[in-house]
Amino acid sequence: MRYAISGDSDFIQKIKASEFSGYVHSIFNRTVNIQSLENGELYTVACQEIDNGPNTLVIQVERFNTINLSVNDQVYTENNFLHIANKLTIAVDKAALWESILPEYPQKVEILNRNSTKMRDYIDHYGIGGGMKKSNHPTTPFEIELSRLLEERTGLLLTELFNNRHSEAIEKASKLIGLGPGLTPSGDDFLVGLFTILNLPKSPTHPLKDFCLEVVKLAKPLTNEISYMAMQKASIGKVRESIISLIHSILYGTEEDLILSLNKVLKIGSSSGTDIALGILAGLEANKIAGGKV
Amino acid sequence: MTVQVVIKPNTYFDSVSLMSLSTKANQVEGVEQAIIAMGTEMNKGVIRNVGLMTPEVEEAKNSDLMIVVKAATDELCENAFVSINELLTKKNTNTGKSEVKYSTISSAAQSIPEANLAVISVNGAYAAREAKKALENDLHVMLFSDNVSIEEEIELKKFAHEKGLLMMGPDCGTAILGNIGLAFANAVRKGEIGIVGASGTGSQEISVRIHDFGGGITQLIGTGGRDLSEEVGGIMMLDGIKALDEDEATKVIVLVSKPPAPSVEEKILAQISQCKKPVVVWFIGGDEEKITKAGGHFAKMSKEAALKAVLLAGADESKINKRALNIPLIEEVRAKLKPEQKYIRGLFCGGTLCDEAMYAAMEKFDNVYSNIQKNADYLLEDNNVSKEHTFIDFGDDEFTKGKPHPMIDPSTRIERFKQEAKDPSVGVIVMDFVLGFGSHEDPVGVMLPAIIEAKQLAEQEGRHLEILGYVLGTDLDYQNFDEQVEKLIAAGVTHASSSQNAGLLAREFVVKGE
Amino acid sequence: MSKINELFKSKIHAINVGIEFFKDDIVKQNASATHLDWTPPGGGKPELIAALDKLENPSVLEKIEEANKLAVERIVNSQPVLIGFDQAINCVPGMTKTTILHAGPPITFDKMSGPMKGAVTGALVFEGLAKDIEEAYEVAASGAITFAPCHEHNCVGSMAGVTSASMFMHIVENKTYGNIAYTNLSEQMAKILRMGANDQSVIDRLNWMRDVLGPILRDAMKLNTDGIDLRLMLAQALHMGDECHNRNVAGTTLLIQALTPYILETDFTTEQKRQVFDFVASSDYFSGPTWMALSKCALDAAHGIENSTIVTTMARNGVEFGIRVSGMAGNTWFTGPAQKVVGPMFAGYKPEDSGLDIGDSAITETYGIGGFAMATAPAIVALVGGTVDEAIGFSTKMKEITTTENPNVTIPLLNFMGIATGIDVRKVTQTGIMPVINTAIAHKEPGIGMIGAGITYPPVEAFEKALLTLSENIN
Repeated sequence: MRYAISGDSDFIQKIKASEFSGYVHSIFNRTVNIQSLENGELYTVACQEIDNGPNTLVIQVERFNTINLSVNDQVYTENNFLHIANKLTIAVDKAALWESILPEYPQKVEILNRNSTKMRDYIDHYGIGGGMKKSNHPTTPFEIELSRLLEERTGLLLTELFNNRHSEAIEKASKLIGLGPGLTPSGDDFLVGLFTILNLPKSPTHPLKDFCLEVVKLAKPLTNEISYMAMQKASIGKVRESIISLIHSILYGTEEDLILSLNKVLKIGSSSGTDIALGILAGLEANKIAGGKV
Repeated sequence: MTVQVVIKPNTYFDSVSLMSLSTKANQVEGVEQAIIAMGTEMNKGVIRNVGLMTPEVEEAKNSDLMIVVKAATDELCENAFVSINELLTKKNTNTGKSEVKYSTISSAAQSIPEANLAVISVNGAYAAREAKKALENDLHVMLFSDNVSIEEEIELKKFAHEKGLLMMGPDCGTAILGNIGLAFANAVRKGEIGIVGASGTGSQEISVRIHDFGGGITQLIGTGGRDLSEEVGGIMMLDGIKALDEDEATKVIVLVSKPPAPSVEEKILAQISQCKKPVVVWFIGGDEEKITKAGGHFAKMSKEAALKAVLLAGADESKINKRALNIPLIEEVRAKLKPEQKYIRGLFCGGTLCDEAMYAAMEKFDNVYSNIQKNADYLLEDNNVSKEHTFIDFGDDEFTKGKPHPMIDPSTRIERFKQEAKDPSVGVIVMDFVLGFGSHEDPVGVMLPAIIEAKQLAEQEGRHLEILGYVLGTDLDYQNFDEQVEKLIAAGVTHASSSQNAGLLAREFVVKGE
Repeated sequence: MSKINELFKSKIHAINVGIEFFKDDIVKQNASATHLDWTPPGGGKPELIAALDKLENPSVLEKIEEANKLAVERIVNSQPVLIGFDQAINCVPGMTKTTILHAGPPITFDKMSGPMKGAVTGALVFEGLAKDIEEAYEVAASGAITFAPCHEHNCVGSMAGVTSASMFMHIVENKTYGNIAYTNLSEQMAKILRMGANDQSVIDRLNWMRDVLGPILRDAMKLNTDGIDLRLMLAQALHMGDECHNRNVAGTTLLIQALTPYILETDFTTEQKRQVFDFVASSDYFSGPTWMALSKCALDAAHGIENSTIVTTMARNGVEFGIRVSGMAGNTWFTGPAQKVVGPMFAGYKPEDSGLDIGDSAITETYGIGGFAMATAPAIVALVGGTVDEAIGFSTKMKEITTTENPNVTIPLLNFMGIATGIDVRKVTQTGIMPVINTAIAHKEPGIGMIGAGITYPPVEAFEKALLTLSENIN
């Protein structure tokens, strides 16, 4: 048996009430995804080094590859336990409850402006290329074309968004979904970052929240379930702890806070973290423009 | 040209695995292009745009992993898939087969029959022993370690010579074998010119200039700095010349060294006169007459040596950008300097680069001091205090004791630079920035804050601070050559296009009253 | 074509020693490179490097290689067969009524560790040489008792290794080379003489072993005229998940399965036979000593080969760790301080309770099983602490300090690699890799017994001393 260290409070409530069942959807070294039979959403059981996130339970395990799980293994709950077949039992009674809460957009934007400049510089230097950030050495025509499309389409999306042309923006955003290398395509990751900012309470772009919901409505057939899940959650302002802490640092933190939290995000996936961070920056840019109009 | 596709339904790999898989798949022999991506509509669109669409790709779903391989023949495609599948299953299985770790050269050499070279960089006290083991196991040796005694060096080189093996080093910092750079080496084109060098950065410089002139390298053999001493007798250089002379791919040979001991010079010249191929000789401060007499092609400076080699290899001279010295620039800088700003301060990571600039200065000035001067009268008394024209090689023993080489850790030079920048008698500070394998990932970047600060300070004091920078590297080096140069220029540093030009410009900037 | 010109045309595969990023750079360029897990030879000590160099002198080297080849051939070819059981006084060479054999290199009573003193005094009471433990301390110190290492009497003894005249012994004959090795019987439970326990329950058990278990086994094996091929059984046990030092569940099952028909045919009562079976079933360790005797039997056949640098004994007396080397015939011990054993403890005990490494059981590692064969026994990983990957790593790493693989005893998980055989003193000092030993932990005070199990290594001094002596003796 393993103990859960912490987790999404909704998920833990479901387990405690024995209202969760499903089957293993996909297995990675550090995470296992479970498809819920109740609502069809993906839930994640993650190893201890992973941060909290929506629908995620972080448990005391170093890696999943030593536990012989298989796709389609039955997942069920019983009292305070989550069982994956007869292979893994997780006790949730001691887990810390976590909830995704985004910080408020600040009234004064000095820190925010300073930090977003710093962040862009830092990504220029240390971000991972190949997705939203151009690879220094694209080697194949595929990579070159991909990079061109990503640049072109984000450009188009942001232009529409900045000019407040709602329905055009939705259309342009949908062209980014599923575009790019990696498990979560770069375009999706970028949108996750963007959605997060559009969901910040009291931000000038807060009214654009609905834009996120509209885009997600189109997303399901365009990408895989894992990536879709992250986008869907982000569209209602629910994202991983490391992203929240980065946004907190951008809005209110010192330079050191910023670099520390940014580094954690940049480490997500291969280029995913960089793609998300660039989405965040794009969102902040949108706020600057929207803010200027007020 | 054929395109083959494999769709792995409902297969998820994490992004990091996918990326590394994609990188490796593109390196599989015979593969022109490999694409590994999730089967989303948008990704399929990209594949369509690059002309690799197939019916299988059309069918792929969001949750499928697409693997598309383009190669010259069906067979190559299939081979590629075998390799990719191996990579895929390797990622996926956990049979607990941990990588075998070897502890000794002998056990590794015996277990890996295809091993052919040992790269040794352990502490000098143990290095000779390891090198001997390697030679005993029929491995060629590149011995990076220094602090190996000359007796051990002679023993190793004699042993290697008997066995017909390369014994590069001790204190060999660079080599390129079969287009693979070892230790400190630059990424250069494959070509027709072979280099044997006793000076590390000198050899790097030649390889980079050759690349810049459009030429390329067959092999670059490092010998270690003491090879051409009386005691060692040039064993490695002689063997190196011979091997390159017999190598079908090599058309021209370039030798790089400080002037050899007289008895060794004779042997080298004798060997040159027997060579079937032209030999360009750059012995820094060497004697033109003897070399020409032996049938060698004399070069006084590095760029000249590289240019001769490229032309001898058959390049079209009219198509080469020779990177001529910028004469108007010299006048411009001279005009900015006050009369009391008359000294050069050279702060170098590369020993040969330091040497070359110093020799250039010595042609016009007597008062040239250094920590690597041959003439003891001009050795610095205190290496931490400059005197008139001063050239410091930060790679020399005194500066590297207990510290990494300045090409890896530039902190000592940064401090020294700050000191020199404050000296009102300084006319120009010249520095090298070495790129390539082994070197610092951003050598210019780490120096920039100090440069900017120094420039501001000088401006406040009402004097012009001339900083001359040379970036040793190619467009293929991983540090991004252009970016490094741009950073220098943006900070107000004058950029020299070669080691030779750096030496000449520095000298000319401070020549007064001509 | 010269070798250099050949190299120009070959694909580079470099062996990198020292700065690791040189390897990374080579790999980035699409060539192959192998980075060595290197440490300075002889721990960087000049006298050891000089000794290693001397032994590498071509003429010396040739002699050593030849001698070592012979030594490992003898280890590999040895076929130890269990031919019987009898009391020590009847079979062990040089045994007397007042002799006490003990584990490890020689040691006097006053210097013995707590557990060993506990065992010695318990044995004196068991033999009737003292009326109680208190008196036994006096007798032991009086000079009336002859103490000697088991190893010097063709024996091995687990933990304290205390062996006295009336104890029953395994008798294992080397069918290839004719030598015989002995070891006493497992006492099974944790509170036992070999762990230093000596209260009445311990003495009672020893009495029963002398009066019932021993005679039944003796008589049973008299009926089995072919003997039991222990090497074959060992190979099976390894395939069944034992490493035959700390995990013996398969080996014990195999051994009792072989003995049972003959036990049934002896003239003892059903109740007594039933006691024997219950006793065997009470602990998996029953066959532990058997594999020690097998190892001893094979290694003794390789001892005393001039110029050989192969280790034939590793043994500890709780104070010192001693090794013997084939090239130094007879009883030349090279010693260093016994080490702590690191591993999980039974509930209620703390690391400071543990006695130092003790016992002749490291003979199993000397042969190539135990810690050397950890990859066969992933199940005990938890017992000795560590991970499955580490266990596999131990088995492959030991190849670096050994001479050959034993094709008769293999590890399925490693592609049926033979166990690493023939520890070479030169390789140990050269690489700094120490032989890994799986072992039990005894309480440091007498009379308590086993409190855990774990992993330990020999002290490097023992190998360094051996190397220096060898380099003086081999010319």
